[in-house]
Amino acid sequence: MYGGGNTFEAIRTDSLAQEDPEKLAAFEAKIERGEKIEPTDWMPALYRKQLIRMIEQHAHSEIIGALPEGTWITRAPGFKRKLSLMAKVQDEVGHAQLLYSAAETLGKTREQMIDDLLSGKSKYSNIFNYPAFTWADSCFISWLVDAGAIVNQLANAKGSYGPYCRALERICAEESFHLKYGHHCVIFLATGTDKQRQMFQEAINRWWAPMMHFFGPSDKISAHTEILMKWKVKMGTNDDMRNQFLDMYVPKIWELGFTLPDPNLKKNPTTNKWEYTEPDWEEFKRVINGEGPCNKERIEVRRIAEERGRWVREALKAPQAAYVTPLA
Amino acid sequence: MKEVALKELLYKIADDQLILGHRNSEWTGFGPLLEEDIAFSSMAQDKVGQSYALYQLLNQLGEQEPDTVAFMRNAQQFHNCQLVELPNGEYDFSLIRHFLFDTAEAIRFDLLSQSSYQPLADLAKKIKGELQYHTLHANTLIKKLGSATPESIGRLQNSLDIALPYALGIFEPSPFESSIIAEGFFAGEAELQKQWILKVDALLAQTQLKPISWPTVKAIYGGRNGQHTEHLQPLLDEMSEVFKIDPTAEW
Amino acid sequence: MKSLDPRVNRLPTLSREITTKVPLDQLGTYEVFVQAKENKPFQHEGIVHASDIELAFVLAKETFTRRFTCVSIFVTDTRDVYVSALTEGTVNAYDTLPPYTPNANNILENYLIFHLLKRGKQHVLAGKVTASTPQEAMLKGKENLQDGKPVFNVWAIRESAIRHTQPEEMVLWKTLPDKKYRDASDYKAGDKLTRFLAQRKNEIL
Repeated sequence: MYGGGNTFEAIRTDSLAQEDPEKLAAFEAKIERGEKIEPTDWMPALYRKQLIRMIEQHAHSEIIGALPEGTWITRAPGFKRKLSLMAKVQDEVGHAQLLYSAAETLGKTREQMIDDLLSGKSKYSNIFNYPAFTWADSCFISWLVDAGAIVNQLANAKGSYGPYCRALERICAEESFHLKYGHHCVIFLATGTDKQRQMFQEAINRWWAPMMHFFGPSDKISAHTEILMKWKVKMGTNDDMRNQFLDMYVPKIWELGFTLPDPNLKKNPTTNKWEYTEPDWEEFKRVINGEGPCNKERIEVRRIAEERGRWVREALKAPQAAYVTPLA
Repeated sequence: MKEVALKELLYKIADDQLILGHRNSEWTGFGPLLEEDIAFSSMAQDKVGQSYALYQLLNQLGEQEPDTVAFMRNAQQFHNCQLVELPNGEYDFSLIRHFLFDTAEAIRFDLLSQSSYQPLADLAKKIKGELQYHTLHANTLIKKLGSATPESIGRLQNSLDIALPYALGIFEPSPFESSIIAEGFFAGEAELQKQWILKVDALLAQTQLKPISWPTVKAIYGGRNGQHTEHLQPLLDEMSEVFKIDPTAEW
Repeated sequence: MKSLDPRVNRLPTLSREITTKVPLDQLGTYEVFVQAKENKPFQHEGIVHASDIELAFVLAKETFTRRFTCVSIFVTDTRDVYVSALTEGTVNAYDTLPPYTPNANNILENYLIFHLLKRGKQHVLAGKVTASTPQEAMLKGKENLQDGKPVFNVWAIRESAIRHTQPEEMVLWKTLPDKKYRDASDYKAGDKLTRFLAQRKNEIL
């Protein structure tokens, strides 16, 4: 589950001057033709760096993203929900595995990436720094956060890097279960008792602001990423992604009789775009930089997991096996 | 009488699987290696799924709905052995429990595939592959970690010593044991234990873990009778927290 | 740590200082190939980290075949995959193979040959050849396994370096189609929703 919102800072393109102009032109032509780049193909250093950064952040978002919903894994009501939520959280771990592997093909090891996550050097999706207070929060995440992630991931699956695209195709197929499961849960709450409806309305009220942040700062204030768009690393602007999400899901939320906590939210019939109160980007920055309600807990849980698992990995480390970069 | 005996058999198997599946699911997202995290979660799902299938058989025999049975009983009404309700501890304990329990489980269902109660025999045949994976996974990891580093061997040994008396509790005889065997429902706990000891001994012999001196291990019984450790009721309270907000609601 | 997650509240507090990982403190890399159905070729799906080929097999099963159908998988150490050049356009990877004369006295072994037929897609099993070295195996693949389409990348794997699914292990995937709870198709709530919407409409009117 990843919205891609906090990936990109201002890109310095100075390093491109050092690249071989012929190779660079051939590389760009290949992408222009819609061909995929594979690990052993020539690529500019900047492309490699930005891809590692993006795929790594995506992978971190999956492994950390397993935690807010994991909050309810032991408390899912009934057999069906219990099995579904176990499988859903497991998939998030599985997505992390796939994405770390894709990033590994670019030359950064999984261990280095996890180290960078724990030290705070690399980031993950902001939304997972918020707490899941009730069962309904976990339903919100399963339905709507995953829906947002799918908007972003379907776009990225059309990107230029082969191993990332292949991982995303697998991930999107699995996410379709998440989305349906999440919607199923929400329909049950919406059509259930007053208490159940109230639980979900409260979850919406808590999660709407992080959800709007999920796709990243508005295009007006975000860094220039033209080169990444040209290289098909980034496949759409933050506002485009947000608008797509609103277009697909706001009507579904309203249909269920819930309200969204933004009086200015409406679709402009002339522009066909959604209008909304500008999200609080200062809050977004504060949370990314560690001041969110759950940042410390999320990282601490991963640290403890890594530390408790250390003896297993050390014992499994066999002299005959060696770490090498994966092939594809 | 026959039906009471059959139900008792089904309940204890289902309760074991539900409680251990629940416990093992606590590791999801916290595992020692991403791939192992995924594998362990799948096996937890298998266990919960198998218990669900058994509660459905019980439902067909006139017991309440699976959700009601699983989420509304209190600890004294559960028939699981105490081994499965113990907290996860560190990964060494969870793995040793997985090995000891799933070895027994695979033999149990192998025997149950001959059950005179056809729906149970059918289920046993159907899930053979799941159980085969569970024992393949357990055996592979215990063989590796039981012969790797001083730390891994020491951890597994320590956990094995703690788990063994509880593991023998898996085979606590039922009050209906003779009827269960006579009716051909199941070959019985004594037969299961006998085969289990052979398998456990054979696997441990491939590690640097100490051979078990069985006469010195004293079984901890009670679970089959509704006597549990202090850990089961909190587990059930947690499991049913949302369900009990409104047990009549659809979630 | 006080958490909303009861599992987190049960986590131990770690006494020892948490250190970063030792560089490359990580397990070996194994490539995973999956056969979704009988009569469909094996296809490369990704990698797992594991200590050895046996554990790689065990872990690959749940990492890559939790859904849909699967009849068989196999794994091999990444270092045991011999790789040709990666080509593009109309260049056939087989045409880039360096010249090679095998020694006639060498021992012959089975090799599996994989082709990449579309850049961006997975490598797919093309067939089996007998050869004494990976180089020779690729040349045999060039002679025997092409069907006219350009091949952009060739992989050759010695069969003895593969952990196959054993015949008695085919049963491992038997209940996979029954695990409907992992599929989107199992979550239909259309009727409930329709009833609810109709009722709401009436209330509003």
